[in-house]
Amino acid sequence: MNEIVTNEVVIEVGKRPVREVHMEMLAAANAGKSILVTNTLSRHNLGVGLPAGCKVRFEGSVGYYCGGLNTGARIEIERNAGWGCGEAMSDGHVTVGGYAGMSVGAAMLGGTIHVKGDCGPRCGVAMKGGNIVVEGKIGYQSGFMAHGGRIIALGGAGGSCADALWEGEVWVTGDVEDLGVDAVVTEPTAEQVAEVDAILDPLGLKDTSRDWRRIIAGQRLWYFESRDAKAWLMI
Amino acid sequence: MCGIAGRILNAPGQVGRDLVELMDAQEHRGADSTGFAIYGVPRESGYVVRAMGFERDTLSRDLEEFRAILREHGGDFIDDPVWDDARTSHYSVRMTITDPDDLARWTADADEICTRLEMLSVGRSLEIIKDTGGAYEVADKHGVRDMIGTHGLGHARLATESDVRPNASHPFWARPFADVAIVHNGQITDYYSWRNRLEHKGYRFLTYNDSELIAVWVSDRMKEGLSMEQALARSIREIDGVFTFMISTPDMIGFAKDRFAMKPLVVVNQNGEIAAATEEQAVRRVFEDDHIAILNYDGPGQQGIWGVGNRRAAA
Repeated sequence: MNEIVTNEVVIEVGKRPVREVHMEMLAAANAGKSILVTNTLSRHNLGVGLPAGCKVRFEGSVGYYCGGLNTGARIEIERNAGWGCGEAMSDGHVTVGGYAGMSVGAAMLGGTIHVKGDCGPRCGVAMKGGNIVVEGKIGYQSGFMAHGGRIIALGGAGGSCADALWEGEVWVTGDVEDLGVDAVVTEPTAEQVAEVDAILDPLGLKDTSRDWRRIIAGQRLWYFESRDAKAWLMI
Repeated sequence: MCGIAGRILNAPGQVGRDLVELMDAQEHRGADSTGFAIYGVPRESGYVVRAMGFERDTLSRDLEEFRAILREHGGDFIDDPVWDDARTSHYSVRMTITDPDDLARWTADADEICTRLEMLSVGRSLEIIKDTGGAYEVADKHGVRDMIGTHGLGHARLATESDVRPNASHPFWARPFADVAIVHNGQITDYYSWRNRLEHKGYRFLTYNDSELIAVWVSDRMKEGLSMEQALARSIREIDGVFTFMISTPDMIGFAKDRFAMKPLVVVNQNGEIAAATEEQAVRRVFEDDHIAILNYDGPGQQGIWGVGNRRAAA
């Protein structure tokens, strides 16, 4: 049963159909209420396609695709998120209090995802815009084929980092296990660091003493020539 | 996409019930079929045989022929076989048998009638139950919730590269190694080359399911002297594809993940009792405490084992 507490609507998930939960969330959002979602049981597809202005907090952990297709909602997940958290979001803000599974922020276009723990493989795969901030370590092959946007990892990176990166950027402090194909480390300019600090500052994470590695595409894949034996060896 | 699960208890208990819940929570990953490998209290001698017949009309004749082959190898039924009374043309049968003289030779001969009666598992404690349908449907039909044991595996299958048939479901028995079973989520891309090599070594495969191959592959390496851990490590290096699989023996469950970190595995270890599954929401069916520590085995090339009973070891 739903319960209205001041300006907040409490919606329980349990074993109810996710479609039913979603319709209640949309109704609450349209009524200008903030939403507390309880008893989430790590269910999938919660909080997908939420509109701008919507404010939701999920108690506990959520399953796959939470916050996907977000167009401007502010979403807070108390604990862990499964695969594809914030996938294809175009705006808004998603906070994950714990661990985020594989492909967090996949194909995202805009907005910010903030993961307070570590995240799984292929963080920001094929992302095209926006920012992913990870306080812990980003997993294997993070930034894979990212076309834009920025991944900022404060606790290091797993293997094959920024593999086949296109125009995105992966910023890392801490150890990088190894770089992916065509990824190169560059020294960031003061202006670039200031841009990253401007993203971290509202999250309370700005620290001017950090030693950054800015990883971008070496661009050899941009001009790939199939008859070039060295290019094949690179892959 | 399939869903897999493993469960270990500190003492014999309701492992069947737990595995049913673990699989029901993952039914959306594969509704074609569901299966369970459950390790009960081990027999000191004799084996439990789980088998599937494909024509209920010929059940009596099939069992008589099966028994005749068993007798040729020095074994016999201990108790009368029991089977399900569902209205399906296929049937599942449970038999207890005395030890045949040579398990591998008997298995090979018994497999000569596998088009009519196929052995799903042979073990001192292992019993594999599998069928088409979801977890609750299979559990209701075969009484899985009532099965008591120390550990086991579960599988929800989405058929991608082989038939949807009751016997093509998982788990697979590592024919002819007693008490070894596997569940697998993924695709093996060099399946035929490995199958050819293993067939040349004398192994027989009854399906074209790549999971059956992994079970035999790992068991063959262990037969050659590798430990489970060593065999799992080699599987990651040598088998091509994307996979997470779990393999079970009477005293452990092991897991291995491919080099590309494509298939998830979520684990809870609470006071030595393990629940592992493809999805976090599944392990929450077993551990209701919302604040249990969830371990995500998401990295590339990961492997490990969990011991059962006296063989406890952290993964």
